[in-house]
Amino acid sequence: MEWLAWETGLIATGITVPILVGMYFLKLKRREMLISSTFLWQRAVQDLQVNAPFQRLRKNLLLLIQLLILLLLLIALARPALVQPAAPAERYVLLIDRSASMNATDVAPSRLAEAKAQAKAFLESLGGESLISWGGRDIQAMVIAFDNHADVLCQFTSNRNQLNAAIDAITPSDGGSCLDEAVTVAQAFAQSPGDEANNRSAETPATMVLFSDGNISDRRSVVVPAGCMKFQAIGKSSDNTAVVAMQARRSYDQADEVDVFASLANYRDKAAVCDVQLSVDGKPRAVRQVTVPPVRLQDGKRTPGQLQVSFRMQQAAGGVVEVRQNQPDTLACDDTAWAVLPEPQSLRVLLVTSGNAPLLLALKACSLSKLDVMTPQKFDTGDFSQLKAAGAYDVIVLDGHAPKKLPQGCYLSFGPPPGQAAATSGGTIKNQAMIDWRQQHPVLQFVNMTELFIANAHRLKLGRDAEILCELRDGPGMAVVRRKGSVFLLVAFDVLESNWPFEPGFVMFCQNAIRYLARNTERKRQNIQVGEAISLQLPAGIKAKLTTPGTKPRTITADAGGVVRIPATSLAGVYRVNTDRQQYDFAVNILDPAESDIRPADEIEFSGQSVAARKTAAGQSNRELWPYLVAAVLFLVCLEWLVYKQKLKV
Amino acid sequence: MSAQATSRSTRKLTDLLDSRFMARLDGLDVASRKILQGKLQGERRSKRRGQSVEFADHRPYVRGDDLRFVDWNIYGRLEQLFMKLFMEEQDLTVHVLLDVSGSMATGEPTKDLAARRLAAALSYVSLVNNNRVTLSAFCDGLTGQMPNMRGRIYLPQMAEFLLSAEADGPSDFDKACRQATATRQGSGVMIVISDFLLKEGYENALRQLISRNYELYVVQMLSPQERSPEISGDLRLLDCEDYDVAEITLNAALMKSYKRTLAGFCNSLRDFCTARGARYLPAVSSDPVEKLVLNSLRRLGLLQ
Repeated sequence: MEWLAWETGLIATGITVPILVGMYFLKLKRREMLISSTFLWQRAVQDLQVNAPFQRLRKNLLLLIQLLILLLLLIALARPALVQPAAPAERYVLLIDRSASMNATDVAPSRLAEAKAQAKAFLESLGGESLISWGGRDIQAMVIAFDNHADVLCQFTSNRNQLNAAIDAITPSDGGSCLDEAVTVAQAFAQSPGDEANNRSAETPATMVLFSDGNISDRRSVVVPAGCMKFQAIGKSSDNTAVVAMQARRSYDQADEVDVFASLANYRDKAAVCDVQLSVDGKPRAVRQVTVPPVRLQDGKRTPGQLQVSFRMQQAAGGVVEVRQNQPDTLACDDTAWAVLPEPQSLRVLLVTSGNAPLLLALKACSLSKLDVMTPQKFDTGDFSQLKAAGAYDVIVLDGHAPKKLPQGCYLSFGPPPGQAAATSGGTIKNQAMIDWRQQHPVLQFVNMTELFIANAHRLKLGRDAEILCELRDGPGMAVVRRKGSVFLLVAFDVLESNWPFEPGFVMFCQNAIRYLARNTERKRQNIQVGEAISLQLPAGIKAKLTTPGTKPRTITADAGGVVRIPATSLAGVYRVNTDRQQYDFAVNILDPAESDIRPADEIEFSGQSVAARKTAAGQSNRELWPYLVAAVLFLVCLEWLVYKQKLKV
Repeated sequence: MSAQATSRSTRKLTDLLDSRFMARLDGLDVASRKILQGKLQGERRSKRRGQSVEFADHRPYVRGDDLRFVDWNIYGRLEQLFMKLFMEEQDLTVHVLLDVSGSMATGEPTKDLAARRLAAALSYVSLVNNNRVTLSAFCDGLTGQMPNMRGRIYLPQMAEFLLSAEADGPSDFDKACRQATATRQGSGVMIVISDFLLKEGYENALRQLISRNYELYVVQMLSPQERSPEISGDLRLLDCEDYDVAEITLNAALMKSYKRTLAGFCNSLRDFCTARGARYLPAVSSDPVEKLVLNSLRRLGLLQ
C-alpha cells in the first residue's frame, strides 16, 4: 500500500480531529422550556444516572462513530493505493507522441497537452522517491517524445520533478509518427542499468506506456515484447479535412504557365464543403469551392474521401505557391500545403570537345537556352575565374578531356576521368557490354542499355563515396562523384567508341544527365517533408538570415564548405534563407495521409501482437482505495443517524 | 331578592359550571363518615341526640331536662317521666383548600382551571345543602379566604372568589396549612386540591390537617403533559415557580425513568393519605369535572 497524498491527509488530520473533539467539549445548545416543576425530572435524571451505567457509553458511542468517520475520510484524503500483487515493471518508459495529428484540438486544449497531462497523472499514480512507499519500491521512469524521430528527454530516474519537467518540455511538431526508433532507444536504455541502477539487474523489464492517438505509420515493423506495451489512447474525433498532396510545375510547352495540383482528403463521415484557396507569395490568386466526399467503408477499412483540385495560372517569376482549405476542423496544420515554384529553367551548357557530332546533336535536342562549344585547348587556356564570373554554365560536358584543375561546377565527362574527380583511369578495357544499371536513377530513367557495346573503355578507379550507376563487364561504366561542391558524372568510355549514338537511349541519357546535373547546381530540393533536413550551398562563411515558421528570424553562417544545414524541420511551412544577394525558399509540408487521419485507434497492431487502447485517463495502475473508504463512511453516517435516533427515541 | 341573587350568581357561576351540571349537583350532598359536632343546628344527623323531628330513643328524665321533650304519652300510661330523644341534625363545615401557586397555571388545559371548577362544584353542593363552606386559596401561604359561607346566597361570592384568584407565585404548603388550621372552626370535611409538586414535601403540612377533627380529602390535580410528556431532544427545563433549571436530553430511558418517578411519587402520596385515614383522589386536568364529581368523588364517599 502506498499513500499518494499523505501530506494533505496529515494536515487535514491536524486540523479536523481537534475540532471534532473540541466540539464535544462545547456545551450543547438546549431548547428552553417552562414547566410546572423540575423536581420530578431531576429525580428521574438522578435515577437514570444511578441505574444506567451505559448512558455515558452511549454518548461516547456517537463520538466514537464520528471519530471513525473522520478517520476514514482523512485516510481517503491521503489517497492510499493498493499496489497490485503482480506488480508491473518498476521501470517505465513514457513514449509521448508529438506528431502532427497530436495537434488536433478535439481534446481541449490539444491532444499533446492531454497526453502530457495523462503522462503526469500516470507518474503521480506510480509514486516515487518522495513518497512513503511500503515495501521499499523504487520506481523509475524515462520520457521519450517521438515524431519521425525519437528524442530522449529524460533518462531513467525516480526524480518526479525531473520527469515532470521533461514532459513539460515536449513541444508539438508537424512530423509523422515513427515508433520504431523510440522503441529501439527505449529498449536500449532499459537494458543498461543506468546511473541510478541501485543494484537493479539489467533484466528488470521496462514497461512502455504509449501516449498517442494510435496513428503510427511504422507500427507493422515495430516489435514489442508481449505485455511490455500499454497504449493510452488520446483523442475522440476524426473531424478533419486535409491537403494530402500538392505539386506546382511549369508547363512543358510554356514556361510561364504553371499547373498546381492538390489532393484533398476528408476523414469525416459526411461530405465536407470547403473553399480551396490558391495563393502565390501570400497573395490570393484563386478560390474554389469544392465538396470532398465522406469516408467510405470498404471491407471494414475506412478510406477517406478524396478530391483532386487543379489550378492553372500565369507565373513567370518564381515564388511560393500555397494551397489552403478553409473549412475549420480539429487539425489546422494539415490544411495548408506549400510548393516552391522555381524560375523557368534556362540551362546553359558548355561542350568541350575536339569534335563529336553525335554528342553535339544530342545536346542540341535537349532544349537548352545556351550551348557553347569549346576546344580542349581553348578551355585549358581560358580563365576559370572569368568562366565563373561570366555567370558560369550550369553543366560542362567534357568529351574525352580530363584537365587537372577545374572550377567548381557540374561536369559530364566522357572518357578519362578529370583529375579533380578523385578517380583515375586504370588502363583500358576492351569489348565491354553493360551488365547492370540502376534504372530508377534519374540519369538512367527510360534509358535502355541492353544493346550497348563498347569497344574501348577506361577502367575507372573510384573513391569509396562514388555512386556507381552502371557496371561494365570489367569495371564501372558510369558513376557520380561529388567533390568540394562539384558534381561529376563520369562515363568510362568515349561515345564514339561505342554504338551508343545509334541508340535512342543516348539522347534520353543526355537529357537526363543535363537535367540531373543542373538540378545539382540549382537549389537542392526545395519541396521537402517535415522532419527532413534542409541543406543549402552558399559561399563559404557567408551570413544569412533564416526565417522558419513559428520562430523569430535568426542569423546563420555557412561553414567552410559553404554548406548551410537546417537539421530536422519540425514544423510545416515556408523556411526562408536570405543572403544579401539572394533568397532561398523551402516548402516543408506534412502531406501525410496517415497523420491527417486523426481518428483515435482502438488498438494498435504491432508486429506480432496487438495492444488494446485504454481510453480512461492514465494513472490507474495502482488501485486507489478512497472509493471504498467513502462507501464505508456513508455506511457509518447511516449508523450514526440510527444511533442518534435511538438515543432520542421517546 | 333571593331569585335575583341566584340568577346573578348562576351567571357568574356558569363560567365555571354549566347549568345542566349544576342541576345534577342539586341532588347531591356532602357526606361525612364521622358524625361530627357542628356549631349550629343543621340538617345533618349527628351522633348526638338533639332537637330534631326524627325520633331516636327514650331515656329516663333527670332534673334539668327540657320538659318540652318529655314523652307525655308514656307518662300517662306508666306515670314515669321519659325523655324523647331525637337525632340531632348538625351543620357540616366543608373547607376547600385550593392551590393557586404558579405550577397550577401550567398544563393544557390548565390544572388551575380544572381545580377551580372542582372547588366550585364542591362549594356549590355544600352551599345548596346549607353546609358551612370555607374556601381558601394558597400559594406562598394563604392568599385569600371566604370563611363560613352558608346557603345559596353565597354562590355569587363563592364564584367571584374562585374566578378572581390568580394562579401565580411560589408555593409554601406548610405555611398555608398552618394558617388554614388556625383559622378553621369546628370540624368537618377538608378538601385539598393541589398538584403536590412541592420540593419541600407535603408530609408535614398534611399531617397538620389530619390531626384535627377534619375528614381529609386530597385531590392531586396533574396535567396530561405531566403524566406523559410529549417533548423530546436536548432541553433546558425551567421551573415556573423558582426558576430552577434542569438540563436533560430526553430519550427513551429518561422518559421511562420519569414515568416511574411520577408513579412512585403519586403512590407515596396515596399511601401517606391512606395510612392516616385520609382519602386520596388522583385527577387529570383534561378529565371533565362532571366525571370527577359524579363518579370519582361519589365512589370515594365524599358526595352522596
